[in-house]
Amino acid sequence: MPRPVAIIGCGQTKHLSRRRDVSQPELIAEAAWKAMEDANVTPDEVDAVVVGNMQGFGGVAQPDLWIGDWIGAPGKPVMRVTTGGTTGGTVAQAGYYHVASGLHNVVLAVAWEKHSDSKESGATTGLGHVGFGAQVNLFRCGMGLKGFIATSGVGMAAGVAVYQAMYYMHRSGCGIEHFDMVAAKSRRNAAKNKYAHLQWPNCTPEDIAKTEMVAYPFRYGHVCPASDGAAALVFADGNTARKRVRTPAWVKGLASITDEENQLISESGGGVGIIDSSEQMGARVAAQKAYKMAGIRDPQKEIDVAELYQPFPNQELLFAEKLGLFDEGKAWLALEKGETDIDGRLPCDPSGGVMSTNAIGAAAMLRILECALQVMGKAEEHQVPKKVNIAVAHGWGGSTNYNTVTVLGSSPD
Amino acid sequence: MPYIKEERPETLSVEGEWAYGAHVYKANTLLDEFCEGLREKKLIGALCMGCGKVIVPPRAICGRCHIRMEGRQVVSDRGTVVSYIVSPPMVKGKYKMLGMDPVELGIVKEGESLVPGHVRFDGSDSPYNLPILNARPEEVRVGMRVKVVWKEDLEGKLSDIEGVEPIRD
Amino acid sequence: MTRRVAIVGYAQSNHQYDMPLPREDMVFEVVKGALEDAGITKKEVDTVVSASTDFLDGRTISGVFYGMAAGAYLKDESKAEEDGTLALYYAFMRILTDIYDVALVEAHTQGSCINPHQVSFYMLDPLFDRQFNVLNDIATAALQARMYMSKYDVAEEDIAMVAVKNLANAASNPHAHRRMLDVTPEEVLNSKLYYEPIRELTMSPISDGACALVLASEERAREFTDSPVWILGAGSCQDSYLRDRNLHRLESLEKAAQRAYEMAGIKDPVSELEVLEVSEKFAHEEMMIYEALGLCREGKGRVLIEDGITSKYGELPVNPSGGALGADPVCATGLIRVIEAAKQINGEANGYQMPHACRALAHGQFGLCAQKNVVFVLGGE
Repeated sequence: MPRPVAIIGCGQTKHLSRRRDVSQPELIAEAAWKAMEDANVTPDEVDAVVVGNMQGFGGVAQPDLWIGDWIGAPGKPVMRVTTGGTTGGTVAQAGYYHVASGLHNVVLAVAWEKHSDSKESGATTGLGHVGFGAQVNLFRCGMGLKGFIATSGVGMAAGVAVYQAMYYMHRSGCGIEHFDMVAAKSRRNAAKNKYAHLQWPNCTPEDIAKTEMVAYPFRYGHVCPASDGAAALVFADGNTARKRVRTPAWVKGLASITDEENQLISESGGGVGIIDSSEQMGARVAAQKAYKMAGIRDPQKEIDVAELYQPFPNQELLFAEKLGLFDEGKAWLALEKGETDIDGRLPCDPSGGVMSTNAIGAAAMLRILECALQVMGKAEEHQVPKKVNIAVAHGWGGSTNYNTVTVLGSSPD
Repeated sequence: MPYIKEERPETLSVEGEWAYGAHVYKANTLLDEFCEGLREKKLIGALCMGCGKVIVPPRAICGRCHIRMEGRQVVSDRGTVVSYIVSPPMVKGKYKMLGMDPVELGIVKEGESLVPGHVRFDGSDSPYNLPILNARPEEVRVGMRVKVVWKEDLEGKLSDIEGVEPIRD
Repeated sequence: MTRRVAIVGYAQSNHQYDMPLPREDMVFEVVKGALEDAGITKKEVDTVVSASTDFLDGRTISGVFYGMAAGAYLKDESKAEEDGTLALYYAFMRILTDIYDVALVEAHTQGSCINPHQVSFYMLDPLFDRQFNVLNDIATAALQARMYMSKYDVAEEDIAMVAVKNLANAASNPHAHRRMLDVTPEEVLNSKLYYEPIRELTMSPISDGACALVLASEERAREFTDSPVWILGAGSCQDSYLRDRNLHRLESLEKAAQRAYEMAGIKDPVSELEVLEVSEKFAHEEMMIYEALGLCREGKGRVLIEDGITSKYGELPVNPSGGALGADPVCATGLIRVIEAAKQINGEANGYQMPHACRALAHGQFGLCAQKNVVFVLGGE
């Protein structure tokens, strides 16, 4: 077994669509210094640093080389990890492995995104290039502009998630009104989280239902924003953790699983073998692996709170099932009963989730961070009103094929 | 000093460029093989000799088996809609996709919706993204049977497939 | 270290400019080769770590498009960006945790797809350095070279000697890109000038290439092979940004080497190491690397070259494979050095095998003026 590792410090910035008051390194420093202060460690005590963002959005190649000086990285090992939407999750997990390996004792993990540095919308400079090479090849083979717009133009940024929602609706029998409920719940929860971006106190599903349709089955109210923000975590080995803070959040299990890429096109424009993009076998494998490591037998009973990666509302339902929190195709029934509300049986995304705050690189780390806050009892207004022993954080990204699952607990064993 | 600031006055911004365009993408020739098949109204897929999956258009490597997809298999031009989305009714000048107006380009008529779908052709194990033509958005559903709408004069290009339409009989 | 970790298999492509293979196929070939070399299949692999950068791959989240070729299907996979040695460092840590036993590390770049020197421009501080539009990695290396030369009285001829040594060494390495057996110092000094004193033959070529290696814990390594190459020590370190550091010294490499030596229990690198493989993206860097690795006193790197100590037939051969001057597929370069060092220990370096190579050092770097450095100390049984 690896040696015990805990999260001892959490830091995040206020998320807004335009943080024009700070530069990229200043934004990162805001979160990193807060995390170190929270963990009661000085920058000198940090042994190693792990960073990550999607460089296409911020407009700097390998920004760790430039921003390192702002977070006390010089003279330390710095690793940069990027995997799209899961970036934050994989950065945090790399932080865990740094400590668990025994090579380092205190590790700072930082993830961020500054969308507003890009003049065009992030979707154009960043996401548009995800499948760029393959698209170019399709054009070479005579796809034609008309064909491209008629297929890929609809939904654009929401892209593959819209299809995924349709797959999920067809399979589980839930309706568009359930998406409204998820979106409204996220906005309401976000209003209790002072760092969240899209806050809407007392938002009701009817409010969301009034917004215009982007591409059936998604409305504007269902779509996540693009935020500027950063998140940072401090990982430490068991002994250091006990000395520095009263209630560390122990990392009990983790996995980051890669499935076949799923945006209909592979590297050179060929097809891919995943028909149903809501299948997400990677999430299932990741969850079971992480649970096994954490010694969780029955996730439905043992898990107290979940932070799921849900830039679109269908994903909260979908991934709750894949992570074993509800039976397959039954998450929307639990949603109707209010079980996933902040005071419900199994609260999902009490922080408001990615639906409300989406700084791509940071988003998956924020899930782990929010779980850590819940375990430590430091989530303030959005703290769930029950004792949190086990919390599970999820990240989703790549071309819908990366899944990270991290299980945190209030005790190391 | 608190790290979380209450006031956020705007700082100076400077402009810079970020060129992604100057890249030469290398691709395999499988798509050309696929296009040659289109000339004869054939949809050629790659068959994995390890797991038997057929991928359309062909791809080079089966990740599950970690082997090259050596086999070739022609699949039917009839298939099933496995997922679809519906755009709002298109109005000239209101919606821009990649900076272009679909109504102006003549892709849809004023007031009509675009309905792209994922189609699984019979005999294949992969979805293909195509517009669903000649169908009202409300009648499209998952599981609907469709067939390829071929262009009149086939050129051996991807655009030879105009889309799919419901099979009505 | 809680457990020992060994390299049990490796493969690399034939590095060249404009390789007639798409990236996916290139990655597939080396991964397949590494697995075959280790005598295992994808099934035995527990975790995959790859290295490349989104910009050099020309698309955001490039990892998704070669994950299947790298054999990562439903495996615990991650991508450490930048140099392949960082991916190796990550995979090494993953095995040390006891959670995994077998890891696959892969790194690649196709330099012919986008000019890596153009990319280096985007690594600069966008608020200040990028505004002038004059700097890139060659220009900053030229500043570094000039600073080093004037401080330690190094002549352009000395730098040319490094290039002559490595380019001639590369001639016997079938995987190398730029192989020049009979190159002379005059030829090097007359090659095309980029930024004074950096010339075509004193900087690394733009190559396409990939490499992969298989790591295993002690128990599994014994199952797979009789001759595992152990990772005895590892160290990684990053320097301050360009403007805030001493350009004439590689301080981060000093620290990285210290950590690796400490872990491997090496007190005197000169007597305890038999061969070194370092990533000198520019010829002058090799002398700076000697100093940072503790092979000589500060400013005396020149002497090792002059006296032929680091030549193929010298007492402490450095880069018998030709180093980065022989082939430089940006993100793969460091990992190729590790593979070359492992080959020396296994006695598999046909044509450039060094006698009695039991302990070897491999070095990888990334960033402007080698801002980030990783050092591995490898050893045989």
